[in-house]
Amino acid sequence: MLFAVLLPFIAAIFIPFLSKWKEKIHTGFFVTLIPLVVFIYFVRFAGNDFHPVTQSYDWMPSLDINFDFHLDGLSLLFVLLISGIGVLVAFYSIYYLHKSEQLGNFYVYFLIFMGSMLGVVLSDNVFVLYSFWEFTSLSSFLLIGYWNHRKGSRYGALKSMLITVFGGLSLLGALIFMSVITNTTSIQGMINEKGLILNHEYFPLILVLVLLGAFTKSAQFPFHIWLPDAMEAPTPVSAYLHSATMVKAGLYLVGRYMPLFAESDWFFILVSGFGIITLCWGSYMAVRQTDLKAILAFSTISQLGMIMAMLGFGTKAAVFAAAFHILNHATFKGSLFMVAGIVDHETGTRDIRKLGGLLTFMPISATLAVIASFSMAGFPLPFLNGFYSKELFFDAAINLGMTTNSIKGFMHSLIPYLAVFGSIFTFVYSMYFFFGTFTGGKNVSSLPKKPHEAPIGMLISPAVLVGGVLIIGLFPKLINQPFIHHAASAIYGAETKVHHIVFWHGFKLPLIMSLTVVAFGSILALSRQRWEWVYKYVPGFLSMNKAYDGLVKRTETYSASITNAYMNGSLARYFRLILSAILVVTFIVMGLTSGFTFSFAHTADITWIEIFVALVMAAAAIGTIVARGRLAAIIILGVVGYGLSILFVIYRAPDLALTQLIIETITVALFLMVFNHLPKLAPRNEKKSSVALNMIISIGFGALLTMIAISSHSSKWFDSIAEFFIKNSYKLGGGDNIVNVILVDMRGLDTLFEITVLGIAALAIYGMIRLNKKKEGS
Amino acid sequence: MEIIMSVLAGLLFATGIYNLLQKQLLRIAIGTALISHGAHLFILTMGGLKQGAPPILVEGIKDYTDPLPQALILTSIVISFGVTSFLLVLAYRAAEENGTDNMEQMRGNEHD
Amino acid sequence: MTNLVILPIIIPLLAGILVAFFPRKLSIVRKIAQAVFIGNLVIAGYLFYYVKQYGTLILETGGWAAPYGIVIVGDMLAVTLVLTTNIIAVACAFYAPKSLSDQQESYYFYTFFFMLITGVSGAFLTGDIFNLFVFFEVLLMASYALIVLGNGKVQLRESIKYLLLNLFSSMLFVTTVAFVYSVVGTVNMAQIALRVQEVDQKGILTTIGILFFFVFATKAAVFPLYYWLPKSYSVPNPVVSALFGALLTKVGIYSIIRVFTLIFTNEPGLTHSLFILLAGLTMLFGVIGALSTNNVQLIIAYNIIPAVGFMLMGIGIFTEESLSGTIYYLVHDMVIKGVLFLLIGAIVYVAGTSDLRKMNGLIHQYPLLGWLFFLASLVLAGIPPFSGFIGKLLLMRGALSQEEIIIVITGLLSSLLILFSMMRIFIGAFWGEKDSNSSAEHKSTRAFAWPVAGLLTLSVTLGVGAEWFYPTIQSIAQYLMSPEIYIDSVLKE
Repeated sequence: MLFAVLLPFIAAIFIPFLSKWKEKIHTGFFVTLIPLVVFIYFVRFAGNDFHPVTQSYDWMPSLDINFDFHLDGLSLLFVLLISGIGVLVAFYSIYYLHKSEQLGNFYVYFLIFMGSMLGVVLSDNVFVLYSFWEFTSLSSFLLIGYWNHRKGSRYGALKSMLITVFGGLSLLGALIFMSVITNTTSIQGMINEKGLILNHEYFPLILVLVLLGAFTKSAQFPFHIWLPDAMEAPTPVSAYLHSATMVKAGLYLVGRYMPLFAESDWFFILVSGFGIITLCWGSYMAVRQTDLKAILAFSTISQLGMIMAMLGFGTKAAVFAAAFHILNHATFKGSLFMVAGIVDHETGTRDIRKLGGLLTFMPISATLAVIASFSMAGFPLPFLNGFYSKELFFDAAINLGMTTNSIKGFMHSLIPYLAVFGSIFTFVYSMYFFFGTFTGGKNVSSLPKKPHEAPIGMLISPAVLVGGVLIIGLFPKLINQPFIHHAASAIYGAETKVHHIVFWHGFKLPLIMSLTVVAFGSILALSRQRWEWVYKYVPGFLSMNKAYDGLVKRTETYSASITNAYMNGSLARYFRLILSAILVVTFIVMGLTSGFTFSFAHTADITWIEIFVALVMAAAAIGTIVARGRLAAIIILGVVGYGLSILFVIYRAPDLALTQLIIETITVALFLMVFNHLPKLAPRNEKKSSVALNMIISIGFGALLTMIAISSHSSKWFDSIAEFFIKNSYKLGGGDNIVNVILVDMRGLDTLFEITVLGIAALAIYGMIRLNKKKEGS
Repeated sequence: MEIIMSVLAGLLFATGIYNLLQKQLLRIAIGTALISHGAHLFILTMGGLKQGAPPILVEGIKDYTDPLPQALILTSIVISFGVTSFLLVLAYRAAEENGTDNMEQMRGNEHD
Repeated sequence: MTNLVILPIIIPLLAGILVAFFPRKLSIVRKIAQAVFIGNLVIAGYLFYYVKQYGTLILETGGWAAPYGIVIVGDMLAVTLVLTTNIIAVACAFYAPKSLSDQQESYYFYTFFFMLITGVSGAFLTGDIFNLFVFFEVLLMASYALIVLGNGKVQLRESIKYLLLNLFSSMLFVTTVAFVYSVVGTVNMAQIALRVQEVDQKGILTTIGILFFFVFATKAAVFPLYYWLPKSYSVPNPVVSALFGALLTKVGIYSIIRVFTLIFTNEPGLTHSLFILLAGLTMLFGVIGALSTNNVQLIIAYNIIPAVGFMLMGIGIFTEESLSGTIYYLVHDMVIKGVLFLLIGAIVYVAGTSDLRKMNGLIHQYPLLGWLFFLASLVLAGIPPFSGFIGKLLLMRGALSQEEIIIVITGLLSSLLILFSMMRIFIGAFWGEKDSNSSAEHKSTRAFAWPVAGLLTLSVTLGVGAEWFYPTIQSIAQYLMSPEIYIDSVLKE
């Protein structure tokens, strides 16, 4: 299985080389082979007596990240969808994408996506799953941005990335949390330990984080907004990623974790709630669209919502219907996207207001479209698979079981009505899509291109999918037991008995609901112009696009204003902020740990001469602030430095005193030299408030250090290592002057690098001055 | 005495910081010099003052002042000197290039 | 054999002095620099291998036993970082001739570069707190010299701010060393640790610890002390920015790791909780900064800050897992920051501007550059299975095992925003219409691309091949969690 997952990645490496021959042979032919191989590999597993297969390959065992593949019914359903539709889409793309396009890039992204998607649905290891999950988002980003010279592409790509990666990161948080709680990185392992998770105090957070991942990926309200903009991608991509496979990863995730979460009432409330809202909102919004692909995008949103809702119901029948609909949706929606691509390709527009009457020009496409769209509408005909799953959906919606939870109970009573409401609009947009494009007598000459039927190669893929619609409709048994049944069992988490799919279950409530949908749907479809005005009011403030645009824009503007508020380039401001932070935190820490101590032990006696020197230094230090002239300020600074050398003398540090004396003299001289070239000192001209602030900060800081110094000196708990130096300076170091012995011997390394610092400084100064002279010279 | 010296060193830090918060480069440079003085005085004080004779071995004397802080201060003084000289030349060059010695006028903007 | 451990410090020092004698013979100087850095890398690699095999190497300089002399302590943490440092150095040595003007090179660029590496390696290797200060000064002095290289108006202006803030923190550093000396009577880190443990870090010691934290946090660019960073890292030449971005802040982080796993470990409720708080704020404010500007170099410079937040988070959580996350992230971040600064230098070079709004459609002319940047963005944002992810995963596992929920959510959110900030560059600079007027001159980026591609390969390997690295890093974290090993090996008790 590892090879099957890695095959697309390996193939992707070779695509850039193959695409060099694209003039001779379209790269798509090679690419079509890859999903075909994968499909053949996996289809062998399907069958009535299917049993889950597990295979493990080590990757990072010390981090518990390994390729642990678990192929159960749910994974098998997805794997076959991914590879099967992959073959059709790759084949279709050969005719859709001209050789002059950057085919290499396209197929690399395409294969990376396919491999990642296979990885998502096969990985039992949560972190491997997450890795592949993010890669589907990234490849989707690149595919949406394929025609990146278009502004819409760039906008759509960024939007899809931000929203899906946001969800991905939420999911990551949840996965890490669950793996920490259960001490395993295996999904099956987590399900076995579900008690630990369900009873954890942060369980609600975990549930919400997982669902954020699923909802963003599967375009559930209110995160659905990225999907319509993703339609900027080439149509094969829309058919593949944004309808048949990637957007179903969220459903996969919910299905995968259902055995764990389903016991929680909140799982039902959130998943069904958001699912049913998405169903209604998506189908309602689809009717308003004018772009064929936008209609299909909202339709996809709505259908995903429907499946999500069914997963939320959690009953055996609902789960079965969900699995069944995942397959059905892929067949009819995939073919409709391809038809939309054909229409776009052959007429030059996808604007339904310009289209019409194409039936006579494109009879085959029209035939495919009519079957697929009626199936999507759930029209009660025995050869349309969409009808079967819609019927099962209604059946599931009215048999939600008993509950004691009041929110759940309320939703139980509401869901059947919402299901019918959403389905009515589904019916309306399905009719709108087909009849708006293919019937009516529009002026064909106004189209950018003269329409004609697509080349046969382009029709094959949608035809195969429509064939699937009919075959599943006519012979549901073919796929039920070997396939859907196992998927449903896997989602449900226990073996369920085979659910029979039949066309006629008697004149019962689900059928009445279906007929209601057809009746009301027809009326609304025919009278569409008369009630279209509602769209002016209803999406209005609910438009999540505005919220997204506002958020992104505000992120940038707020970031700029927050950052500019403190990063204004003012050194004094930086110092104030830094010093205040250190001051406040350190004082707090000192207070909390009772750090301040005060003791007169070990202190030297006080003599007048020292007091005098100290006072002079203090006065001089303050004097530097009030000094008016440059010269005065520098000389006063010198007083402080010389005062310090006197202190060094008093405190028995002759070497220091000497060094300080020399250095101070040179420094003062340097100050004088340099500032000869600088403007005169201006009065300080500070605002009173800033004087006060500066005073508080500087005095506060001085006080802080003084307090720490006094405390440190009062806490001399250990003998200094200095004793060793005094004892051994002569014996081992060979010198009387202990300080010198330390400097050249015990701490010779310090001295070496102190000289290095001086050397660097000298070179740097030399460089600065020389480079300047050169500039002046030239 | 250590307490008085700690206060003095703290005061040197305080006046140094006050100068550091000014606009003109000269005042800022003076501030850094004061802060180094403060730091060195702290090191000396922390070693204990006048605990014995100067740390030069003389026969018959047993108590010496702690030599280690003195060695550290020496290293630090030299380093500070290097940094200060660099700072001074840099200040001169920066003031020359930017046409001002006022740091508040050297804020810069996003795109330079 | 113990002398081996000082070679990564001494070799660049000597080489730096050597090349200072004939700065204008550039062709020779370049060759020497490249050869010496490769040689140094080999030595660092051997040192790494040796320490991994035979345990911590300790060199008592001048033959004075700890705690009296200065010891150089080559433990796994230090040699890992020295090795990574030298990898970056080699890449920069090959990138530099293309990026710098001859004049800049001949004004002692290579000497300063060598000294920077000396200082950084010394800081990683020293076992003496005052000696750490000295090495800090070496690397800072070299960094001051490198920023002003070229002597432009902007460089001069920004370097003065950078210098003043660092000068202040250096002075605070020596003062704090004085305080700790007063209390425990030693400057040897192992002995400080021993003595601090003996008195249970009571009284003033935690306060002194916090001062140390602030000193290092200023270098590491932790909130709210990073104001100096974005500008001073974005104005110098790209190769200098790369060295700074890859190495300088990491020395600060390293010092925090060292001091707060070895010495001040007794009040984690106070100190380490503070770190977690600051880590969160660092991530948020850093990434907000990255979104605030259209200057691409500044965007990259701001992106240093959230990474610092991640590393600090691991120190704050203070479990074996979180610390291995921090170390993993540290190594990863050194490499990827080098990559990004070198890349952005090439981007600015080909685009002729650093203003994102003036760039467009570069991918049509420079596909290699574009894809390198895209890949680097993914690595930076922590997309699996690249190296950023491994570090982040470990950090978050550590955090969640301590139920530190808020910091994890902050981390996830800032990961998203980091990706956003990088994709703004990718979409803005690389996507879009082919710029018609610039198509006339196609600038060669081949020379830029090789060092970048090499580092990026390493970065990807650090992620995909985590199995080769993680056990080592985990053992470092284990080792850090038991400071007595360090103390015993230095003091030999």
